[in-house]
Parts: sequence; structure tokens; C-alpha cells
Amino acid sequence: MNKSLYTILTFARINTRRFFRDRIAIFFGILFPLIFLFVFGGIFGNNSQANFHVSLINNSKSDFAKQFVDQLKKESAFKIDEDDKTLDAAKEKMVRSQIDATIILPDNFGAIDQATQTPKGQAEVYYTQNTQQSGQTMTTIIDGVFRDINKNITHAAEPFTVVGKQINQKSLTSFDYTFAGLLGFALLGMGIFGPVNVFPELKKQGILRRLSTTPLKVWQYFCSMAISQSIIGLVSIAVMFIVALTVFKLEVVGNVLVLVAFLVLAIIEILGIGLAIGGWARNERQAAPLSNIITFPMMFLSGTFFPRFLMPEWLQGATAYLPLTPVIDGIRYIVNEGYGLTQLGPQIGLMLGWTVVIYIIAFRVFRWE
Amino acid sequence: MNIVSVKDLRKVYDDKPVVDGVSFSVKKGEVFGILGPNGAGKTTTLEMLETLRPIDGGSATIDGIDVAKNPDAIKRLIGVQPQTPAFQDKTTLKEVIELFAAAYGEKVDVLQFLRDVDLEEKAGNYVEQLSGGQKQRLSITTALVHGPKVFFLDEPTTGLDPQARRHLWDLIRTIRDKGVSVIMTTHYMDEAEMLCDRIAVMDNGKIVALDTPKNLIKALLKRGFKKTQQVEQANLEDVFIDLTGKALRD
Repeated sequence: MNKSLYTILTFARINTRRFFRDRIAIFFGILFPLIFLFVFGGIFGNNSQANFHVSLINNSKSDFAKQFVDQLKKESAFKIDEDDKTLDAAKEKMVRSQIDATIILPDNFGAIDQATQTPKGQAEVYYTQNTQQSGQTMTTIIDGVFRDINKNITHAAEPFTVVGKQINQKSLTSFDYTFAGLLGFALLGMGIFGPVNVFPELKKQGILRRLSTTPLKVWQYFCSMAISQSIIGLVSIAVMFIVALTVFKLEVVGNVLVLVAFLVLAIIEILGIGLAIGGWARNERQAAPLSNIITFPMMFLSGTFFPRFLMPEWLQGATAYLPLTPVIDGIRYIVNEGYGLTQLGPQIGLMLGWTVVIYIIAFRVFRWE
Repeated sequence: MNIVSVKDLRKVYDDKPVVDGVSFSVKKGEVFGILGPNGAGKTTTLEMLETLRPIDGGSATIDGIDVAKNPDAIKRLIGVQPQTPAFQDKTTLKEVIELFAAAYGEKVDVLQFLRDVDLEEKAGNYVEQLSGGQKQRLSITTALVHGPKVFFLDEPTTGLDPQARRHLWDLIRTIRDKGVSVIMTTHYMDEAEMLCDRIAVMDNGKIVALDTPKNLIKALLKRGFKKTQQVEQANLEDVFIDLTGKALRD
């Protein structure tokens, strides 16, 4: 066997084994991302339709009011809370943003009008300056409910109507979005914080210095790190997938081999950032701030925790070229939309470009001590 | 036959000469000691020969190869024992030897190398379970995996108990007897006197004396030096060894 290859494989093998012997490394590499998965899965996993949290105060004793309340409760857009008895109590909650708005049915609501012998009344919707949009949307929804009721009472035909129809296609759920982002987060954690934490310690103890008296080359060392990091990263991501599939019912459309190949490239790319920072830094005091400056903006700007389309357009344009953005987009395209490697050309191209740039920097700035 | 020859070696940090024109040569199978107070330039001299620091002036060759021009070839000729050996934890002794051999692209009989330093029964242990003396021994054997011609040791016995020191001396003599040239620094004069075939004394970046320990002492006596105290038949270390035995401890 080629001597260089033997060197790389031996270092990779022993480095990988060391990881799986180290409980702290296992915690941060595998369990830590899982905790995030559970937290974010818990938040975004249940795709409930309750968009508005509403306090309802029913001051009327009429039958119509009672029926109307029951009707509102069936409305999936509302989460109705009947705890508050007065507008002041509800106001306090609105100010704290615990609820979005308050619906009040006045005491004469639903009383029978003597002239027409039909019930009538006016519901009131209260909202704050910050929740205008919710207030107006709710007013519209309730208006729709009233229109149906009115139609039944007056039997008048309406010339214009609108009806919502569901098309036979799924869109991405918030969990689908979150999951790709969480994989990106796990990659960042392992690829950057791994070497950034380990290298300064190795330098402090003179372990890297000792290695530098042997013919071991930096590129051999980097290759061995890339191999073992890919193995560790794939194990960690496999665990996340198993949890996502079983607990959060993640729908995977894409091909697993495509995903594995894509992830290996992603792991190597992100690891390069860690190798560059950790390899450059002489000690923790240099490594920690630099890695935070690089990691945190990327974490938030590359669509890790929320989709990039929520950003202003100029920011979307700028963040599209960050090293992590094509990784998260690519994972999403493969997992949710079943893209093949050829369709991922723009993402893979961008990642390869970054990989070359990052590793050139990493080689240049690497210091054995 | 000279295996190492150093001529007018210089190192300057911030315009201050740390190594200021050092010249010496080391024969095959010799233990060469470099003595001197802290800051004398001992470690910097070693580090230049070990290819860890660029050489600012003068020249150094090992086995005829220029250190400055061909550091990669030099690395295959030398073994290096750092002042405080350290290894990544959660690594077994066996794996440590494998790693160092692999750094040279070689595969070796791991257990034989552990046997050489009495660590065979610890082969499966993690390095963090070793004592200071055991770490020193492991470090020495890792420096020899590729069969170097010159072996550098920087203060190898600092912090060791008398038993471990004596054991290390035996080990260094064994290595020398195999034909390896040993270059070491130390702060212990008894160690230098017993172990080193020749000694260079450095101060302020310069070699102020270079000879065998015996000749250096003779020269001093010739200049009329007299010890104020009567030489005793035994010292406290002899008492210590007599009481606690020579057997190596963990």
C-alpha cells in the first residue's frame, strides 16, 4: 500500500476510535444536535392551524350567542380562551402578547328583533396597535361567519362568493424546513467547534509540535481529519434521521446515497473552516472569538433556524453565497424534493468553490504550535 | 566519525542573539550533553537542529545532510523527545506507537517497542493512565520507531523520581550502545557527569567550554579550585536509593 495512504488511514482510524471512546465528544457530536432536534421538532412539529389565540367574553345569555360561540370554537384558525370575564383582564393579556385579540359579545347580542323576528347583534373585536393585522384578519373571518348566518336568515342570494379549494399536492411543512437547518447546525457544530476546541489544546500540550518533528505533512493530517470527521458526521446525522423519521414523521423523498455523497462534501467543506481557525489560532483566546464571529452569522443567515425567504431581498441575495447556504438548500432539495446530484449543480459548484478557497487558507495559516 | 556537525550556528529574536555562533560536532554512538542556565540557548539550539526553528546563520549537517536545506530528509534521521511529553487522551499505548510509525509511513512491531521500555503489559491502557516516568519512556520509544541516527532529549529527567531517573539513564545508554548518537540537555550535573561522553557548557548563547566531564573537572582543579567542604563518602541520594531500592516504580 502507498505509504502516504497508510499514514492517512492509520491517523483517521485511530482518530475515529478516539471520538467514540470520549463521552463528552459523543455528547456534543451526537446528543447535542438531537436535543435541538427535539426542541425544534416540538415547536414546529405539530402543524396546528391555530393561528390566532383569542380571548372570548360572552356577555349575552341568548341562545344565538351560545350557538355562535360553539361555532367559533370549531373554527380551526382560532384558539379560544374563555377565562377572562372583563375587557380589562383581556387587555392585560393582549399587552403581554399572550393573546392576539379579544372578541366581545355584548349583552344584547343575539336578542330577537321585534320588527323582523330574527336575531341580531354586533360582535366587537379588540386588538392592539401591534396586532392590527391579526385583528383585521379575525374581523374578516367573523364577518364571513356572519354572512353565512345572515344568508340563512334572509335567504338572499349572493352574486359574488369565494371558495377555498385544496390542491392535491404537499408543500413543505415547517418541520421539513427545520430539519434541513438542524442538519446544517449539526455540521457546523462538529466541523467548526470540533477542531477549534481540540487544536489549541493540542498546541498547548505540544502534541502537534511533536508531530511536526516527524515527516507527517499538513495535508496528510487534514485528509485523515476529513475522513474521520465524515464517518463521525454521518453517524451523527444518521441518528438524527432515525429520530426525525420515527418521532417527527419526516417525509423523505430523495435518494439516500445522493444524500450521503452530498453530506460528505458538506462535512469536508465545513470542517475546512474549523481546520483553518483551529490551525491558525495559537490558543483558545484566539480560536473562540474568531469561530463565533464566523459561525453565528452563518448560522442565522444561511437558513439554519428559519427559512431564508423570510429575509429582505437584498439579504437573501447576499446570503445565498455563504458556505453553509448551499449545504442547507441542497439537503432540503434532496430530502424534500428528491433532487439528484446533477440537479444540485449550483449548490455543489458553490460548495466545491468554497472548499478550494477554505483549504487553501487553512494550509497557509496552519501552525504546528 | 562525526554524525552531527554544527558551525557558527545563530538565532536572533528581536535583534537579540539567542544562539550566538555555536560550533560543535557529535560522534556516532556518543552521548553529547548541553548544559547551561535557563535562557542560555540550549533548547533553541536543539530546536534548530530538529528543524522546528529556522536557522538564522551558520550551518548544521546531520549525516552529511544540510538541516536548513533538506528538513524533510533530516526528520527521517532524527528522533525527538520533548521536555514534557504529551499524548492525546483516549489513545492506547499500542495506538500511540502505531500513529508515530504511521507518521513515517511505516508499520512496526508495536509490542517490541513497548517491551524495550518495559511498558508491554500496558499496551491496551490509555496514555492518561500512565505516570510521569512511564510517559517519558513511551515518548522515548515513539521517537525511535523509525530507527533514527540521532536522538534529541530535552531535559528528559526533570520531575522524575530517583528510580525513574536511573532507569532512564540505563535506557539512554542502551540506545547509545545500539549506535545512536544522543544529544541531550539537562540541569542535573550528576546526570551529565555519569551519562555524557562529552559536554558543552552554554551561557548567553555561546559555548564556554566543551570537553569530557573528567577533563572539564581536571581543568578546573588545575586552575587551583578547591572545594570548601570535605568530600563525603556518600550523599543523600545514596541514602535514598539504599532505603527505597533501585526497583522502578510506576
